[in-house]
Amino acid sequence: MPHPAVAVLESALRVRKLDRTLTTTLQPGKGEGLVAPTDAAALDALLNGGLPRGELSEIAGPRSSGRTTLLLQVIAAATRRGEIAAIVDTFDRLDLASVVAAGIDPDRLLWIRGEASSPADRALERALKALNLVLQSGGFGVAAIDLADAPPAALNRLPFTTWMRVQRTIEGSETACLLVGPHPLARSAGGLTISLAAGSRWAGHADRSRRLAGLDVTVRVVSPRRRVEGEATLGAQVQYSGG
Amino acid sequence: MFGALYAAEGTSIDVLIDVAAEFSPRYEINGPRDVTLDLSGLARLFGSAHAIATELQRTAAERGLDIAVAIAGTQTAARLLAARAFTAREMADRDRLRQGYGGPPKLHAKAEGPPRNVIVVDPEGEADALAPLPLSLLADSNELATFRKWGLRTLGDVAALPPDAVAARLGQEGVRWQRLARGEDPRPLLPAVPDERFEQALDLEWPIDGLEPLSFVLGRLLEPLAAHLDRRGRGAAVLHIRLHLVTRAVHERALQLPAPMKDARTLRTLALLDLESHPPAAAIDRVVVAVDPTPARVLQFSLLTRPLPSPEQLSTLMARLSALMGEERCGSPVAVDSWEPGKFAMQPFTPRDVNVIHSHGPRRHGSTETNFSDLRVSVSPWPVGANSVSVALRRFRIPVPARVRMEQGRPIRVITDRRGLAGGLGTGGVTRCAGPWRTAGNWWTEGTWERDEWDVTLSDGATYRVFRDRGTDAWFLEGVVD
Repeated sequence: MPHPAVAVLESALRVRKLDRTLTTTLQPGKGEGLVAPTDAAALDALLNGGLPRGELSEIAGPRSSGRTTLLLQVIAAATRRGEIAAIVDTFDRLDLASVVAAGIDPDRLLWIRGEASSPADRALERALKALNLVLQSGGFGVAAIDLADAPPAALNRLPFTTWMRVQRTIEGSETACLLVGPHPLARSAGGLTISLAAGSRWAGHADRSRRLAGLDVTVRVVSPRRRVEGEATLGAQVQYSGG
Repeated sequence: MFGALYAAEGTSIDVLIDVAAEFSPRYEINGPRDVTLDLSGLARLFGSAHAIATELQRTAAERGLDIAVAIAGTQTAARLLAARAFTAREMADRDRLRQGYGGPPKLHAKAEGPPRNVIVVDPEGEADALAPLPLSLLADSNELATFRKWGLRTLGDVAALPPDAVAARLGQEGVRWQRLARGEDPRPLLPAVPDERFEQALDLEWPIDGLEPLSFVLGRLLEPLAAHLDRRGRGAAVLHIRLHLVTRAVHERALQLPAPMKDARTLRTLALLDLESHPPAAAIDRVVVAVDPTPARVLQFSLLTRPLPSPEQLSTLMARLSALMGEERCGSPVAVDSWEPGKFAMQPFTPRDVNVIHSHGPRRHGSTETNFSDLRVSVSPWPVGANSVSVALRRFRIPVPARVRMEQGRPIRVITDRRGLAGGLGTGGVTRCAGPWRTAGNWWTEGTWERDEWDVTLSDGATYRVFRDRGTDAWFLEGVVD
């Protein structure tokens, strides 16, 4: 039972509408602030606004399924919003031309390059340590780890608790953590699992005039606990530049 | 009461400052040979103003300085009189040498016979003392040129003009010069702040070996240092660590910090991470920590956007990542001036927050000036919300050697020896391909490259970029379209 004086004070504040602060006055938008939008309309619609912040989400798919394209799209959207992003590139696969073509501001991208020549287990261990450092540091809008080229055997040797630890590290933070792999690994309770499949699209019929036009990526979101499920198609174009 | 010291050309300003500092902690350095000092309260110690001036002259002479000393009620009067005394004496000396005449110099000194180059002006007598001095003692300006055109030659001539008439003709600048000619101060004395050393040292009773005990020592040294920096409103720009070893060698490290810092824990972590990578060769028996100070940061964050991590957080993160992955493997990518595929460079990761105002001092309020080059808005060349994005390539930093079978000038099979890759340990039949795209560069230097690129989709469904090096006729996998 509150003190009568407190009750009087609270009612007086309510009458004068002084019982709210800036943060309580602002109504959170529909998913805004809690998600990191990808800036791809169909995908954002499918994801209820974007990738959830403070959760570990994953992009899974085979080679040439558009995993890197989607990853760079998410990072580009983050840097466009003025956020900073980090990518732990376990096997040093990132291509600067693709980064620039995706519209990423390179100054806002922290690129942590693993060594392609080192043994897979060691490379994975160091990459996970680097990801933990980034997540513990805080302040990043998106933090991603690229395990797409890790051998399945090495991935299977990772303790299952690895991803739970990552999840615990970012809980409550504003970082959207993203894991890119050949198949679903984390199975996070809170994050999304985005499964990709793609086919290459070619332009030109004659052998000499043919060129790679892009990828037709089918995005399937598998995340029953977040009640996000469905499919979308994303067109990815090859950017040709003349010199 | 103010005193002015005016020294001969070529005199060390440090010695002149030493002389001033012996008499008063409040002194201002006006130029390489010109120092003003506040002498308030010194009369109780020395007696009269004349005694103070004589003592100043004597102290300077002991240090081998040839100076003129003037004491007056205002800084301006003291400075002008000291400068005039010195130049008049120099001219007199030149005349004596020329004419062989050894008479006394013509100084506007007191009649009771003060020593050479010592001038003491009674309170309220500044304007009278300055009146006969030439106008040339003041720094050249448009207003002084106008005064000369009007036929005015001395400070007294300018001082005698009606101030409202001067203001009407020359504006506030003219009035300012007239006040100077009367010996009035335009502003209070701005005392010079002596350079402070931000250094802490500790002699150890027993040598220490290893970083763990050293971290405690560093913590003990850095905490008072950080507190000192905080008190002075400074931050560390460079952190110097000197470890005196038992072998009598000195292990020195200098950490360039990306932003001024004064947090002891951050500085200690950075120092330890650096020493982890560059450990001392022997046990340590003395630790010295010093910082190069710089004005501290003043930040104004935005209410509307997420703040970036602080420089302390970023520095610590980068130091930890560098220790883990290697220094050259963490940072931001930057394009280099080359058409060679895959060329890039790394630069330190120092994101700039467009919403944060960085300031090292007070800013003028109400300024409407806008420097458009400072405004950077990130604008994407691609429409936000579009359902189409740019395809990315996963690049093999070292291209993977491949064996390619050609038929009718087109690849029909691509095989590599690498497990898990296209055609690795299996068939790599080409289902679609496009090319060749010929590129070449650096043919004018040693690092020449010339190649034919192909985009190929293999039977595993993946699309690769392969190329044939035209110099060696060898095939390589450059990357995977993903």
